[in-house]
Amino acid sequence: MRDKYYRLGCDIGGTFTDFVLLNDQTGEITTGKCLTTPRDPSDAVEEGIRALEATAPDFVAKLDELIHGTTLVINSIIERKGAITGLITTKGFRDVLEIGREIRYAPYDVFAEFPKPLVPRRYRTEVDERVRSDGSVIKALDTEEARQTVRALLDMGVESIAVCLLNSFENPSHELMLLEIIEKEAPGISVSISYHVLPQIKEYERTSTTVTNAYVKPLTGRYLSKLAARLESIGFKGKLFIMLSSGGVTSVETAAEFPVRIIESGPTAAVIAGQYYGKHFNIPEMFCFDMGGTTAKSCLIQKGVAGVVPTFEVGRVQRFMKGSGLTIQVPVVDLMEIGAGGGSIAKVSKLGTLQVGPESSGADPGPICYGRGGTGPCVTDADLLLGYLDENYFLGGTMNLDKESARRGVEEGIAKPLGVSFIQAVWGIHDLINETMAAAAKTHIAEKGGNPKIVTIAAFGGAGPVHAYGLAKKLGAPRLLVPPNAGVGSAMGFFTAPRAFDLLRSHKVPLASVNFSEIEDIFRGLEADAGKILKKEATDEMIRYERSLDMRFVGQGSEINVPVPAGDFTKLQRADIRRFFDDVYKKLYGRTYPESEVEFINFKIRASLPERLLQLPRFSRKKGQSLDAAIKGQRPAYSPIARDFIPYTVYDRYKLFPAAEFQGPAIIEEKESTLIVGEDGHVSIDDFGFLWIDLKEV
Amino acid sequence: MPRAFDPITLEILWRRLISIVDEADSSVARTAFSSLLRDAHDYTCMFTDRLGRELAQGSFATPGQSGAMALGIKNLIKKFPLDHYQPGDVFITNDPWALAGHLNDVCVMSPIYYKEQLVAFTACVFHHSDIGGRVASDNHDVFEEGLFIPVVKLYHRGVLNESVMDMIRWNVRTPDEVIGDIRSQIAANHVCAEKVRQMLKESNLDTLDDLADQVIGLTEKGMREEIEKIPDGVYDARGIIEQVKGKGDIVIQAKVEIRGSDIIVDLDGSSGQVDWGGNVVFNFTYAYVFMAVKSMFAPDIPNNDGCARPIQLSAPEGTVVNCKFPAAVAARMGVGHFLTEVIYRALSNVLPNRVIAGSGGTPAAMNVFYGRRKDGKPWHSVIIRGGGMGAGANNDGNYVYIFPANGANTPVEIFESDTPLIVEKRELLVDSCGLGTMKGGLGKREIFKVPDDQYAPIPPVNLGIQAGRYVYPAEGLFEGKPGSKAQFLVNGIPGNSYGLTQLIPGDVVTIDAPGGGGYGNPLEREPEMVASDVIEGYVSLESARNDYGVVVNPVTGEIDREETKRLRQLRIKNEKVLNS
Repeated sequence: MRDKYYRLGCDIGGTFTDFVLLNDQTGEITTGKCLTTPRDPSDAVEEGIRALEATAPDFVAKLDELIHGTTLVINSIIERKGAITGLITTKGFRDVLEIGREIRYAPYDVFAEFPKPLVPRRYRTEVDERVRSDGSVIKALDTEEARQTVRALLDMGVESIAVCLLNSFENPSHELMLLEIIEKEAPGISVSISYHVLPQIKEYERTSTTVTNAYVKPLTGRYLSKLAARLESIGFKGKLFIMLSSGGVTSVETAAEFPVRIIESGPTAAVIAGQYYGKHFNIPEMFCFDMGGTTAKSCLIQKGVAGVVPTFEVGRVQRFMKGSGLTIQVPVVDLMEIGAGGGSIAKVSKLGTLQVGPESSGADPGPICYGRGGTGPCVTDADLLLGYLDENYFLGGTMNLDKESARRGVEEGIAKPLGVSFIQAVWGIHDLINETMAAAAKTHIAEKGGNPKIVTIAAFGGAGPVHAYGLAKKLGAPRLLVPPNAGVGSAMGFFTAPRAFDLLRSHKVPLASVNFSEIEDIFRGLEADAGKILKKEATDEMIRYERSLDMRFVGQGSEINVPVPAGDFTKLQRADIRRFFDDVYKKLYGRTYPESEVEFINFKIRASLPERLLQLPRFSRKKGQSLDAAIKGQRPAYSPIARDFIPYTVYDRYKLFPAAEFQGPAIIEEKESTLIVGEDGHVSIDDFGFLWIDLKEV
Repeated sequence: MPRAFDPITLEILWRRLISIVDEADSSVARTAFSSLLRDAHDYTCMFTDRLGRELAQGSFATPGQSGAMALGIKNLIKKFPLDHYQPGDVFITNDPWALAGHLNDVCVMSPIYYKEQLVAFTACVFHHSDIGGRVASDNHDVFEEGLFIPVVKLYHRGVLNESVMDMIRWNVRTPDEVIGDIRSQIAANHVCAEKVRQMLKESNLDTLDDLADQVIGLTEKGMREEIEKIPDGVYDARGIIEQVKGKGDIVIQAKVEIRGSDIIVDLDGSSGQVDWGGNVVFNFTYAYVFMAVKSMFAPDIPNNDGCARPIQLSAPEGTVVNCKFPAAVAARMGVGHFLTEVIYRALSNVLPNRVIAGSGGTPAAMNVFYGRRKDGKPWHSVIIRGGGMGAGANNDGNYVYIFPANGANTPVEIFESDTPLIVEKRELLVDSCGLGTMKGGLGKREIFKVPDDQYAPIPPVNLGIQAGRYVYPAEGLFEGKPGSKAQFLVNGIPGNSYGLTQLIPGDVVTIDAPGGGGYGNPLEREPEMVASDVIEGYVSLESARNDYGVVVNPVTGEIDREETKRLRQLRIKNEKVLNS
């Protein structure tokens, strides 16, 4: 019997810090929540842990792992609270960071704003050196001049230094020399060099990523060591892991070295939970749909695996406008976020049509029905007026909703000015936000080569289950899945995330002429580096390596990722590689062009340790449980099929039991959320307490 | 009996129209070959109703292409009776007069059928970086400029016409890339057509006609309401554009009349067409007049045929803004892009908060490099670039952007791996911004070297340039000053800024992108903003003192208030004397 059998997931969000405690012996799950403490986030961590001790006495000493996700890094970028950062670049290129890619993201808006670079121009310096695109040296680094450059930056008071030289992904020697000089001139200062952060072609993207890493590195390091010390002081003797944006977890040391990789660590947990459910229930295509107060985040999970994309943006100056943020190029779970939530505000557009979102009333003042001063009708107001929410059972009845004011708000603000009936207006708000989400979902699913007509939608978040049925109808999706405690469901991801680390190197070379042993060397080098990182976390376990190639037709603008078998690359034939490429290309774009040559751009590996499985607790029907007993009553709610209010049966989710099933129209209430099922939906409950809703084909 | 949609249903269906094009648009990013398309997004997808009226275009569309296309497709569709079209047909053309004004813009268009009825058309224009011909702006007619594809069927009832493909393949330098990109166009149209059919099915519609009427009608109404707010009147402006040395300047003369909710633009008085590639076809002139009007009055309404309806444009045939076949047109952006700023200038007094000063990214500049590596392998790469944007009433000009067109740069590391050349510099140009209360955007310097070591390519390395602003900089507004000029140097000596330059190993080329014009009197710029510019190195200490009248300590950034006050008062006094 192991003496450490607890695992704790802890997610620090903007408002709340959430906790999920798992007892691996019993499968029992306990949850907790407390207010985030921005001044020292570890205060909230300790407070939450103390609160959990009430139900699980002395669990801290029995904790095997604590897995942590945080929005600290992303917030410090958005609020510009990072370190004073200096940048060293190749002579002639100090402005790469500011010039960017030069595209205007809003072609007709001449006043569109752009984000300011994290390193102001005065802190951007140059060294005289040059490497060619094939890695050969044109001009060797002048080490004396480099030393002076470093000193000058230090004299200006920089706290962190980023180094990004042209073509360094092909030959990092100059960057490594600079690293040595910096460490000598200023022992202990925070340094980030592009070859370590992201050895990938395209200088702007690489510089931006390296600079962002440097910008948040000092504060992330301080925070993580403080957290580790705090945990130790309360008796924690287990391992501390940090969630990566790519969906793996890593050690504190690695997270502190590459904080740019944990930027999206919070929202990623929901996706990882989705992956787990996808595998557990063997769902070929699952659309994870997490709708909260201000945004909806979603992600397509195919065969239990979420997509990982190589790039994303942080701190968009125009909310949700692609191109208006800082580019970060590290692997991140392919999460689509749009401005659609319960707090999205409805109004009449300039052209006299209805508009819902992306502006949100947030939690404060919130929708009109919250009675906290909100005056603009919101999606939650419409959901209440449609009968989907119960004014007396919101958040389990802890909050009463003001239906009358909401009614007036929609009547005056929407129905009258648009000249439509009250019903048209409320249904319109609900339906339009679903349309917005469906449009984004379709593009997202299509981009991943998925098919909306076969996806199972997994609904999370406060508003997810309220809108999942409508979204499914718009996508033509046949099935919904709603995990128990949808709010906690996402934090389960902490327990199922693999310990994994992704590395890559750019090297552009055609398939026809490449030397396979050279490729094998690149892969081995990457695997050795990743192995070092993982061995810090567990020495005795088997590390698994996965290899893939980013490939494209020669001259094509973008690449596709092509997995290749692990193990000796030189054993492969050119024809094998070509076949792998054609298969992936065909799947994505319908056809391929065998006569056109292909080339390699990036070499990627993922090193991972075996997943620790999670046993979902099983339930069985208890004595006296019956459907009748689970029915709270009936209430009229809107049916888009009948185009009118019809009676919906209201169920108490906590009284439902395995193997129970029933037909819609139904409303299933739990504390944090409400599930809506139309009359064409059939609900069944499995042994794990998950709700499955099958929809008739449209 | 037309079906009337309530405002909510209308909004939902309208959104779906736009998301259909965006899906087609995003498929291009994934299938296109040339980096001009993928990285620079130099393409436009749209679809129209069965009468050719534009319904929606991709959210990232290029204004020149989309405006010209909207007009071009409408005319093209009318060319044939509707029963001429058949399911599975795909048309292709790059006729500059029919579409987007130069041969590189190739249009692929298909009819969309639903329940055996023609319901819509889908089209996309891609800027192909290679269309054969002599790549330069000093050609004398369109025949020198490359392959001219009249409107032909690429597919007839779903069957590919191999001869057309072959004809294209043998007339371009990089056939795999060009053919690959045409395939990407076909794929984008296919995505669009599929989604349109799906939408009709899901929405229980047989045609798009009623929806089109209402979307377009509503948009037109929105535009007209904005235009009506401006006092009626006739507003004039003139743009002067340089030509190759020895040729007179080109004049764009614009008379902009606001009459109720109509805008009538008359370009009578503009210069006659020229004997090089700067000629603009009517569609392209229209596109940038439209860009100006749209961005001033309703930048946030999605584009469709309704936006265009209040605008009437006339341009006499045979002028540089409405050239006749077979005029050379390859460098049409060198003149066409100026239309936006001329319209802004005309309306600057009535709409001072909605316009910006002249931009260094007008015109968009294009540098086409090609040649052979030392092993004889051909290479070809294009860099498009902008400049500093003009300042507005409340904002400094952004940089470094192409405006009023749009596009992205080519990363140095991509350029160097695609070519044997070395980029020695890509940086902002200090003091290149036009002075003003709000300063213009900065320009940019790029330096390219042809290697002369073991990497030396087989000479010559060809460099075709299309650019402007070598003589006339981007002008300021309301006492704002002009930005810096463009510059093209070969080994430190001014080169042929408009034509084809042949370089040899060891040559060094400097290309300076111009700065944007300032807005308002520079002596009224907040001293703190000047001090910050000095500290960051955007503005020199000298310029701060001499041009802005602000005395800054270069180390601390502190402002000498007394001295600044004295300098500025003196300057204002002197200006008054000089002006009177």
